[in-house]
Amino acid sequence: MKSSIAAQSPISIYGITKRYGSLTAVSNLHLEVNEGEILGFLGLNGAGKTTSIRILLDLLRPTGGRALIFGHDCQAEGLQARSLTGYLPGEMGIYSDLTGREVLDFLAGLNRQTVNKQYRQELQERLELPDRDLRRKWREYSTGMKRKLGLIQAFQADPPLLILDEPTEGLDPLMQESFYGILADVQRRGRTVFMSSHVLSEVERVCDRIALLRKGELVLLSTVEDIRKLAARRVRVFFTEDVSLKPVLTPGHEVVEITPRVWSLRVEGLLGPLMNMLAALPVKDLEIEEPRLEDVLIKYYREGPQ
Amino acid sequence: MKGSLILLFHSLKRVRALVISMGLLLGVFQVFLIIVARSVQRSGTFEQMSALIPPFMREMLGSSLISLMSFNGIVCLGYFHLAVMGSLISLSIGLATIPTSEIETGFMDLILSRPLARHWVITRSIIVLTICTVALLAMMMTGTWAGLNALAPKDIAWPAPYLILSLAINLGLLMMCWGGIAMAIGSVSRRRSVAGALTGLLALSMFLLDYVAGAWQPAESVAWLSPFRYYNPLELLMDNTLQTSKLLVLAAVAVAGFGLAYIFFSRRDISH
Repeated sequence: MKSSIAAQSPISIYGITKRYGSLTAVSNLHLEVNEGEILGFLGLNGAGKTTSIRILLDLLRPTGGRALIFGHDCQAEGLQARSLTGYLPGEMGIYSDLTGREVLDFLAGLNRQTVNKQYRQELQERLELPDRDLRRKWREYSTGMKRKLGLIQAFQADPPLLILDEPTEGLDPLMQESFYGILADVQRRGRTVFMSSHVLSEVERVCDRIALLRKGELVLLSTVEDIRKLAARRVRVFFTEDVSLKPVLTPGHEVVEITPRVWSLRVEGLLGPLMNMLAALPVKDLEIEEPRLEDVLIKYYREGPQ
Repeated sequence: MKGSLILLFHSLKRVRALVISMGLLLGVFQVFLIIVARSVQRSGTFEQMSALIPPFMREMLGSSLISLMSFNGIVCLGYFHLAVMGSLISLSIGLATIPTSEIETGFMDLILSRPLARHWVITRSIIVLTICTVALLAMMMTGTWAGLNALAPKDIAWPAPYLILSLAINLGLLMMCWGGIAMAIGSVSRRRSVAGALTGLLALSMFLLDYVAGAWQPAESVAWLSPFRYYNPLELLMDNTLQTSKLLVLAAVAVAGFGLAYIFFSRRDISH
């Protein structure tokens, strides 16, 4: 999995390992995130995603290995590394009596970059969190509002690298759309996004590459397109009359369900051999579903690389 | 630097209401003690009050009983009354374990994901603890000064300003000492309640050790371990001399606690 590491990559991880006693949370993780890409960091609960993210932010100290952000060691040069990073934690621990505005101003003050008020206003508008809501106290916020505020605080300084832990958790579909729009914009401006997510459709839609962790180990690192190629297509064949013939399938083709008038098949690779076989049958219609990323990812979740 | 100051001001802002209200209460308590001292002075009942003290206590207090059962003694009681000491030490523990609480709630994630050095979290807490300690003692002394000026009989000698200042300095260092211990314990704890309870139990044990050592000879040999041994207000009342060695011991424990807190905090995982 180890790839060549450019000196100034937004994120370069060299074999980080984190152990808690006998439990290995992350094992020998090597990963490079390229400038301007959105990398989806996937895995089941406890796979080591958040642990890896926290190591990047120097909140956790790795048992072995090292991680760099734009060439700065996350531990030895943590201040420089973190000054280039915006972070959205999985859960925001905020004093309940602070207002949204106080939270944003306080966190903006801790940044080295100056926050452009106009950009913050734009984020507020896109995520529908008006000034009126920012005057309310944190304890009065709904889950979705908390998430929106979390996103604004992470994006407001417009850092070159964004590390987002489950960014759309608690957002309604409309706000998810707005968030994807913001992601697309920051990517257009050359920003890099490293986001963990459970939502496969979201990852498929917004990410350029996917890194999948399983039990602390990186089991897949690939572009979304390449992963899609690994997936089987679902093909349904409808007949004008009952067909009693059993399909004779080539390797990579698999029967899901057969009725006299409909065949459901999974097809990996080329469709040609299937078409040749169907040529002699009374086919009424053919339905081909695009390969689904989650079919491949779920397989990796369950079994790891084969 | 800007971020560090913002964090400091944020922390001070968060504790100001608590510190001001506590300072006001303690200030009022000083005034109340002056009213009590004036009343006892006017009625001339110091001897009757002494008679109410159980014999074993009298034995423990020895000659300092005379100093305590006087106008000045009752006025100065505001600096070593159990309720005052207990609440001040509890506040110190509370302030010193703020970083632990910030880790527990996840607030620390947001702070330390910014370009802010870890050691600043501890430095900030030490500054907050120091400012709050000074502010509280200043409010107590203001209460004493105002109460004496407004209510004390003019025909008797008031406690010397040096005595009040000495008591306040010694009490302040005792607070810092327990703050240092709490910060060191907090820096290895995951929960503020655990750090607070552990330090509180330790403080109570050390207080009892110092107390018991006054009456029970075997405990005397280990009583030097108790920070309370280095705050002896009755001794101060009697000879009016602040012992630098005692202040140094308290300061050394505080500094050691802060030092350990820096070390532990810089090495620990921030996880909640």
